[in-house]
Amino acid sequence: MTNNQTNEPIDSLRLLKLIHLADSALPIGSAAHSFGLETLVAEELLTAGALPAFLRDYLQETGVLEAAFCRAAHRTAGADWAAVNQLLSARKPARESREASLTLGRRFLKLFSVLEGVEILPGDAHYATAFGYAARHLAIAEDLTAAVYLQQTVTALVSACQRLMPIGQQRAARMLWDLKPAILEAAQTSAASGVDSIAAFSPLVEIASMRHVALETRLFIS
Amino acid sequence: MMPRSDGRLSLQFVYDADAARTRLWVLEQRQPLKVVRGFDLDGGAALVHLHNLSGGVLAGDKLSLDVAVDAGARAQITSTSATRAYRSPAEAGPSEFVTQIQVSENALLEYLPDPLIPFAGARYSQRTHVSLSNGAGLFWWETLTPGREARGEVFSYDLLHLSFELRAAGIPIATEHNHLDPALRPLTSLVRLGPFRYLSSFYICSAGAPESTWDRLERQLLTLARSETSPVIIWGLTRLPAHGLVVRALSQNGRDIARGLIAFWRAAKQALYGQDAVIPRKIY
Repeated sequence: MTNNQTNEPIDSLRLLKLIHLADSALPIGSAAHSFGLETLVAEELLTAGALPAFLRDYLQETGVLEAAFCRAAHRTAGADWAAVNQLLSARKPARESREASLTLGRRFLKLFSVLEGVEILPGDAHYATAFGYAARHLAIAEDLTAAVYLQQTVTALVSACQRLMPIGQQRAARMLWDLKPAILEAAQTSAASGVDSIAAFSPLVEIASMRHVALETRLFIS
Repeated sequence: MMPRSDGRLSLQFVYDADAARTRLWVLEQRQPLKVVRGFDLDGGAALVHLHNLSGGVLAGDKLSLDVAVDAGARAQITSTSATRAYRSPAEAGPSEFVTQIQVSENALLEYLPDPLIPFAGARYSQRTHVSLSNGAGLFWWETLTPGREARGEVFSYDLLHLSFELRAAGIPIATEHNHLDPALRPLTSLVRLGPFRYLSSFYICSAGAPESTWDRLERQLLTLARSETSPVIIWGLTRLPAHGLVVRALSQNGRDIARGLIAFWRAAKQALYGQDAVIPRKIY
């Protein structure tokens, strides 16, 4: 296997570490968040049948946005850390989703610091930027980092949806398998613009996240 | 290619302490953008109606609006009618409207324009930067329509790029870069507009106001959001990272959005400023 930017081989140890960091079982609490999807399901807008198309569109919008910030953190290796994370906070209008991203990012960085023995960056950290920073430390290529980040994002969303709708294990696996070209496309698109101008348009998901607090019964924190 | 029109408007609102009212200074006015005069409102504010003498944004237009609301001044800006973004041939490039707003210490800007109506074939770019100093207040709404529905034009535009950057005390608190390309990225997606056609955002800010202010206002407006939500319109609201909150609506029609925005504005202005919201007369 080779690094897709430098054609240098990725050694097996670094690859295993990357797989570990992207694993949904990583103990940072990501299983407690739906990022607004619980509201869409509760309001009967999102169904199991509509989920594959929804996730492809989600990757085109929110996925590209987050991957761009993941890339920025990777590229700058922690320089302008506060500014990059402030900018991502400003791109996330719904407080529940914004705070979920910040909570996961902070926990991810703390865990990475303990596991890898690296210095932890001070201040706010979103999940996307924390992931990009960690991957850079492991000398993983930027393109691969963005794609793997998106892979864990949709894996977490599908997992949340399995608890919200009738989706079996095999169907979920098929959905994630079929999304891989969309993941790569979103990762590639995210390289085209800087974080100052990257476009994303996902108002229904954002409003769903804003309305989540008002749901009578909630399985998820966000 | 030269722009079809390079209209420009530069306005300054200055608080006149002796007269206890806000005065409008028109620093630059280049057609088709125009203001007639400022009208005094209760509470010392000045109301200004923005005109576009072309009746809308034409292909190739490069328009700009600069507004400075000086310390202590209070300004209310509205439009004389909806902003129509006309059809743009691809070779003309997107028409552009760039807005720069500075609201200084203890000043207030209420920016309450009519909706944006993108015509079939429109290619339109709108970039807005708003900067709030400490103590500055902002009520800012914008509504995007699907097009000329009565003519059967629903999401028939070619391209919209709508950017909005809001900073308070130098920190970004809300940023949108919305790229709408209905042919390539269907707006009926459940990520984007789903079953709805109209989108509104209403920013309510007061730079430096204590957290307890936003806690109370958020609770109050959440109740309003629940009561205004129906099968044809959903309202959400949330706290920004600092200094304010944003109300969002998705609706199947424009009427319910306009009515709801006024209800949120009235509640928020009373809560933050202890004043009734003065609705620009032409809204009726």
